[in-house]
This record gives sequence, C-alpha cells and structure tokens, in this order.
Amino acid sequence: MSGPAASVHEEALLKPLSSFRPKLFVGSLLTGLLVVLLFYAWGYQIANDIGVAGITRPVFWGFYIVNFVFWIGISHAGTLISAILRVTQAEWRRPVTRCAEAITTFALMIGGLFPLIHLGRPWIFWYMVPIPTERGIWPNFRSPLMWDVLAITTYLIGSVMYLLLPMIPDFAIIRDRMMRENPKSLKSLFFRVAALGWRGTPQQWFSLEAGIKTMAVVIIPVAVSVHTIVSWDFAMAIQPMWHSTIFGPYFVVGAIYSGVAVLMLAMYLLRKGLGIQEYLSDKVFNNLGLMFLAFAMLWSYFTFAEHLTVWYGNEHAERMVFDERISGRFSGFFWTMIVVNTIIPFLILPFKWGRKPLGTAIVGFGVLIGMWIERYLIVVGTLSFPRLTYTEGFYSPTWVEVGILVGSVGLFGFLYFTFIQLAPIVSLWEVREGEHIKNRKEPAHQAALHPASEEA
Amino acid sequence: MADGLLHAAFRTSAEARVALNRLGQDGVAPNDVEVRSSVPLEHDVIPVGSKLRSKIPWTSLAGATLGGTAFFMMVKLTSEAYPLPTGGQPIVGLPPTGVITFEGVAIGAVLTTVATVLLECGLPGLKKAGPLDHHIALDHVLVSVKCDEGASTAWAAQAVETARS
Repeated sequence: MSGPAASVHEEALLKPLSSFRPKLFVGSLLTGLLVVLLFYAWGYQIANDIGVAGITRPVFWGFYIVNFVFWIGISHAGTLISAILRVTQAEWRRPVTRCAEAITTFALMIGGLFPLIHLGRPWIFWYMVPIPTERGIWPNFRSPLMWDVLAITTYLIGSVMYLLLPMIPDFAIIRDRMMRENPKSLKSLFFRVAALGWRGTPQQWFSLEAGIKTMAVVIIPVAVSVHTIVSWDFAMAIQPMWHSTIFGPYFVVGAIYSGVAVLMLAMYLLRKGLGIQEYLSDKVFNNLGLMFLAFAMLWSYFTFAEHLTVWYGNEHAERMVFDERISGRFSGFFWTMIVVNTIIPFLILPFKWGRKPLGTAIVGFGVLIGMWIERYLIVVGTLSFPRLTYTEGFYSPTWVEVGILVGSVGLFGFLYFTFIQLAPIVSLWEVREGEHIKNRKEPAHQAALHPASEEA
Repeated sequence: MADGLLHAAFRTSAEARVALNRLGQDGVAPNDVEVRSSVPLEHDVIPVGSKLRSKIPWTSLAGATLGGTAFFMMVKLTSEAYPLPTGGQPIVGLPPTGVITFEGVAIGAVLTTVATVLLECGLPGLKKAGPLDHHIALDHVLVSVKCDEGASTAWAAQAVETARS
C-alpha cells in the first residue's frame, strides 16, 4: 500500500514559483548585470572587428575556444550523470536529476555561443548548416569542427527534451494546485500551458516512462560522443601535445569531472538558498562525493599518463610545450591545476567529513577553476609553441575576452535563477514515486517477518 | 457529475485498487473508467481489463534508422554534388561518415521517441479540469467513471463503503 507522499517539504520547492524571494531577485539582478557585460563586450567586438580580442599569430584559438571546451565539459554534469543513474536505477538520484539536467541545457547553450563569438562575424554561421543554396555551399564533413556542430546540436536537442519531458507531470501538479488557489494569475496560465493537458493516466505514465528510459539509453553515447569529438578538434591536428590517442577518453573524463564539480557547487547553493536539505541531503552529497572522487582519480591518472608519454618520448616540439608547462611560462597555471584538481580533492574527498555539502562545494569550486586552466593549457599552451619555432608567439587576453568569460558565467547564473522561478528544481513526481516505492517495500518486509499478520 | 462523470479521490493506491476491482466486478467497461495520479502507478492501479501499450522501442528504432540513413545520404550526396579530385580516395572517408551517421541515428531516435510519447499521451490535450483535480496535486488517486445521472449517489456510497472496508 502506498499513501500520499506529498510532504510539507514540497512547499520549500514550490515557494520560488509562487512568491517573491529576495535572494533569487538579488541573484538574478547581479547575474543579469554580468549578462549585460557579456553582450556589451560581444557587441563591441562585432562593431570593431575581431582585432579587439587578443588572439593573434600563432595563437588563433584563445579564450573563446577555451571557454567553449570548458562549457561543453560542464554540460556533462547533467544529462549524462542523470541518464547513468536512471539506467542503473540508483534511488538516490531522484532529487538530483532535475538540477543536473538544467545545468546541461544551460551550459550547452552558452558553450554553443562561443564558436559564434569566435567567428567574429556571427552572421555567417549559416555556412555550417547543411542546406544547399544557389551558391552551392555545403559544409565540409571532413572537418572535426563540422562534426562538433552536429554532435552539439544533437546533444542540445536531446538534453532539452530529456529535461522537458519529465517536467510535464510536475507542471501538471503545480497547475492543479494553482487552479484551486489562484486560477486567474499569469503563473497559473503559464503552468496550464506548460502542462500540455497532462492528466496522469496509467497510459500516459506508461508511455512517458518508456520514453524517458529510451532517451536515457540514447543520450549516454551521445554525451560521450560530444566531448570525444571536441577532443578530436585538437587530436586530429598534428600539433605538439594534441595529437594523442587518449585525448577522447581524457576529455570525456575531464568533462564529467568538471560537470560533477559544478553540480556539487550548484547543489550546495540550492540547499543553502532554498532550504531544501530534506531533498539534497547529506546522503546525496556523500554518494555524489564518491563519484567525484572516482573522477578525480581518473582525471589524475589520465593527466599523468599523457604527460609521462610526452616526457619519455622526448620529441623536440612536444618537449618544448611540456617544459613550458612544467617549469616555464605556463608552470604557474600547471601547478595550480594539479593542486586544485588532484591534491585538494585527494585530501578532502576520501573522508566522510569531506563529502559533506561544504567540503564537496569547496572542492567543486577548485576543480572548476582547475578544469578551466587545463583547457587554457591545452589550447594556448600548444598554440604558443607550434612545430615551426619562428612562428612562436604570445597571447594575452583583452578586456573583451575577459568580459565575455565573466559574462558567460553570469548568463549561466541568470538562466539558472530564472529556471528556479519557473519550475521545481527537484522533480516532485520522481521524489514522490521514490516515497511510494519505499512505503511499498516496508509493509512487505514487515509481512515477511510476521507471516500471520497477512492472514489477519 | 456535471460532466457525466463520477469522480472519487482515494488517499492510497490500495483503496483505489479496491474500488477499481469492484467496478470491474460490476461490469463497468475499462474505457468508461479513468484513473489519474501524480506518480506512476500504472503497474499497480489500472482499470480491470485495460491494457497498457507503447510502441516506443520500435518507433525509436525506426527513427534511428531514418535519421542515420538521412545523415548518411547527406554526406554521400555532398560528395556526389562536388566530385573533388582526390586521387581515387573518397571525398568524405568512412570514419567521418560514421561519426555523422551516428549523430543522425541519435537525433532520429530522440525526436521520434519524444513524438511518440506526445502522441501516445495525447499531448497537448484540451480536456477541461475536473472538480477534484487538486486532489491529484496532493498525491491522491483520482478515479472517474462514466455513469448515468441517477446512478451516482448509490455508486458513490458503494465506492466509499468498499474503500473503507
């Protein structure tokens, strides 16, 4: 038997949807200002041409491509983790999936902006869209950059659908509540439209669950393909420390690592800001913390393997990039990366006290910085020392590039704050379902202990 | 009752199941009964005699095949439209073709899965809200039965009695 699982804790989730929350307002305002900075800097670049950015010969990929790889990496927080946890039927996933999937969607949108910004003339982006025109322009399918366009588009469409489908029953729950409490409000109208007329019949649930399961299975290889293809943007070029066979898995591991980092940080802030510790409990942080530790180990292993083979091979051009990383111009970045991505996680995460919300959030913040640095080292570190030494050059970002980076963080925060005010950040029906399953199991267990009680 | 339906809200799925069994025994056709809940109870609480069907694995597979074929053809036709001199080598080699075809397979599967879910669920739907819909938000199970105007009182009393016993 399973009784109502709608608890008083749901009120904490639904409050941001129905009432004014000063914290959310301030958050939206501050991040909104950063969004203004983003579009101002981008507008300035469009008006004055790409020369206002610091990219120059031979470093033609600077902050924009670093940010692109960084945000696409972060997008692996949600849909992939959520899909893996769904497929493996991990019960503790229920409060995590929605906030993780939202991270994916917004990070992908922002990641997708950077190639446009990097183009300098974003209005010619349609050259990459496979449409025949009177001029006969077709994309170059041999280029990994073109594979990127297709993979990221596929992942974005899949992630948006994977986020929206399970939200329909939640919108219906809120619609039914609002229809009684405040039927004529604008928000009530929004939820009526968003619920799409969902009724919650057995056939609807059956189809929805079949759809979610199928999409979970499809989305896992897509997510893996996305960051593998991003890695091939580099690995397919014969550049020192790029042309590596392990770049695919190295990038995928790094992407999930940075994704879990942002998820831990977001969960900590949500728990603090919305007071939803009943959902984002210590147990959830502990379990995700273990996953975080596993990825810290994997990433450290891949980084060691990647650098060891370059050092051992002792090929001139590669050693040059390697030496600059270890003890040269980029050494400050490199050792900071090692401290925040390897040493700090290994000092905190193996212990249960370290896998508490604050501990994981601190590690998460460090790993985010570390993973951005990793991408900076890969992109700028290599391009600064190409094989032909007479083309060596230095790169330093301008205020436009820094402004766009900071603004992109603001855009992410702004989208997330807006999302919290439009949809419950924890899936109501999935948590309720978990409660039903728990309630169903408990009496069965008791009946097994006292078989006579069944007859009575 | 104004909509020709008799609605009853049950606190637990077990109570709803008892009422549904009773309706089945009384010969009420499964199409005349609608069960609604805020959580998936489709394996637990369904009208007696009704069957749940979904074509999702098959439509997803069909969509994947279609998407893969479309993307493969896009690459092939591009090569044919622009026969660059490549010394007998393919204009677009097998590995890039494989990557692009894979993305086509995935996007085809995703889009057809979503389309099938929406079709099978009848979304977007235009049915009006019922008088007890707010009970679903409270995690109650709502059972609605098509019935004659005069039969409602007796049936409701019976349903409540059955659920209580």
